[in-house]
Amino acid sequence: MFNRIKSLLFALVLCLICGSLLAFASKGLKNRQQDNITTDRQKNILKSVGLIKEEMTYTPDQIKTLFIDTIKRVSVDEAGRIIDEKENTEIPGSKIFPIYLYVQSDDSIAAYVIPIDTKGLWGKIHGYLSLGNDGSTINGFTIYKHSETPGLGGEIEKTWFQQNFVGKKIVDRHGAFVSLSIARGKVENNIPEDRRKNYVDGISGATLTGKFLTEGLKETLSSYEPVSIRFRKNNFRDYKQIEKKQR
Amino acid sequence: MENLISIFLNSVFVGNILLAYFLGMCSFIAVSKNIDTAMGLGFAVVFVLTITTPLNWMIYYFFLAPGALSWVGLPDLDLSFLKFIMFIAVIAAIVQAIEMVIDRFSAGLYSALGVFLPLISVNCAILGASLFMVEREYTFIESVVYGFGSGVGWMLAIVAMAALRIKLRYADIPKGLEDYGIAMIVTGLMAMAFMLFSGISF
Amino acid sequence: MKLTSTKFFRTFSQPLWGNNPVSIQSLGICSALAVTVQLKTAVVMGISMTVVVAFSSLLISLIRNRIPRNIRIIAELIIIATLVILTDEFLRAFYYDISKQLSVFVGLIITNCIVLGRTEAFALSNPPHLAFIDGIGNGAGYSAALIMVAFIRELLGSGKFFGLKILPGIFYTAGYEDMGFMLLAPSAFIIIGLMVWLQKTWVKNDTK
Repeated sequence: MFNRIKSLLFALVLCLICGSLLAFASKGLKNRQQDNITTDRQKNILKSVGLIKEEMTYTPDQIKTLFIDTIKRVSVDEAGRIIDEKENTEIPGSKIFPIYLYVQSDDSIAAYVIPIDTKGLWGKIHGYLSLGNDGSTINGFTIYKHSETPGLGGEIEKTWFQQNFVGKKIVDRHGAFVSLSIARGKVENNIPEDRRKNYVDGISGATLTGKFLTEGLKETLSSYEPVSIRFRKNNFRDYKQIEKKQR
Repeated sequence: MENLISIFLNSVFVGNILLAYFLGMCSFIAVSKNIDTAMGLGFAVVFVLTITTPLNWMIYYFFLAPGALSWVGLPDLDLSFLKFIMFIAVIAAIVQAIEMVIDRFSAGLYSALGVFLPLISVNCAILGASLFMVEREYTFIESVVYGFGSGVGWMLAIVAMAALRIKLRYADIPKGLEDYGIAMIVTGLMAMAFMLFSGISF
Repeated sequence: MKLTSTKFFRTFSQPLWGNNPVSIQSLGICSALAVTVQLKTAVVMGISMTVVVAFSSLLISLIRNRIPRNIRIIAELIIIATLVILTDEFLRAFYYDISKQLSVFVGLIITNCIVLGRTEAFALSNPPHLAFIDGIGNGAGYSAALIMVAFIRELLGSGKFFGLKILPGIFYTAGYEDMGFMLLAPSAFIIIGLMVWLQKTWVKNDTK
């Protein structure tokens, strides 16, 4: 009996010490960790518009200032109109999509970034796709979180794969929306000449990851299509006008 | 449904928890000398994985995840840093409980699985599956299928390995490479073979 | 007495070479291989592992006379898990990029057989300073194996050393190609297998 109480007491004290230690550490480091996550996202957004190069290193402060200076986050509704978030969040059922605008120093919008959150083969794939202000050319693509098989689907995080996206189109020759697909194998060997602009090279051995990513891109891009159309029609070039509308 | 089948087949073959993620290697090398014991441990792993993965899912999403405790009025609490300790405690407890239940109700099953159960609580594959389940943001049903699939994949690998090692007994292997060394190389070849499944579109 | 024959030194050097946990005792390979595609992750993983083994051995050795026998294992697991969580939190706060690449594998140190094995086999029956040294030795032995595999995989797989391209471009123009296979899972198994072979042959000759 005495032994049992002793064991119980020991376990209790141990749990108490470990528990409080952990709670303390987690509380103390929380802000830093959150900060890291935010910086990582910002870095990826900047990378997708081409403001950050892969081979250079940046301090978190550099990234923060660069982000604040160049990127503006706005929300658009289903019809592609810029909306004031505070008003609209209260209407249930209305869909709001966030986009990030790359605003240059003369207030012209050079590119816009669409967040990609889609299903992969294993888990979610999170990343950013940046489109130029013509509403159809891809500026860059980055992935900041995924859980695909290393060496196979995991290649999506590699530069060679993401570089593929640059300069591709989400519209066909006639300007109609077709989204962007991951080819099976190399584009030049498998896709007819006139459609090559809408395909990127696939990863060998990762057919399924490509399939999921293609589907996800199509779904995301079509829900953002109203915004893209506005860009194509030249409606969204000047950040000042948007700012005015927002007010 | 198609999604579930795909998760299952992928966790058995292409993303085999042992051959692609290297989890559960310790017991894999130690217990694969004989087909019967390998089979026994394999079953035990399937059993434990199928139970613990969904159970840990519930624990994570009802207690630990950020905002999970909103049902008791604590929406801001984020206990996810406790997940390692909770998962390992749940696994250890479940393994103990299973051992007791089996002991009580089925002597035959106990003599078959009993000796392997204690080995399992420190099997990386069990904890690994729970952690991957969180990492990949599975739904509950997906976590059941994933747990079961990973178990089957692990069992498949260890039974195949045991069969190969029996054949190896008659092979003339250089000294120093015997046993452990050759086991690793054979595992490598097996992993390569399993990767070929990735070309198949399920 | 020579330095090399003190118990202190032997406790440290044994697991580094002659009784290396990964390549001789076949322990703890689980988490070892998935992080060896790059040297950077392997080094960080090795350091985390060393910290966890050393401190869990130290702590458990300190309280070894107070732990009730019947809840020994679970108490050890709690201490190990606490240390692992602290390491993970620390990495996520200060080395975010690396912790992202290591993902679940830091957490898997908990079930790494080396940690529990050392606390069970050594820390429970030895004084704290020896237990600590034993932990560091085993951690270092584990790291050494990891770093060796990672070095080979990174060099042959992507021609890099710590993320820097070291193979001169002339190799590539002459037709050399990176061995993509080295980045895939099977290569790690085979490299470990060959390492074991090499080391076993070597160690045997040493003792003769």
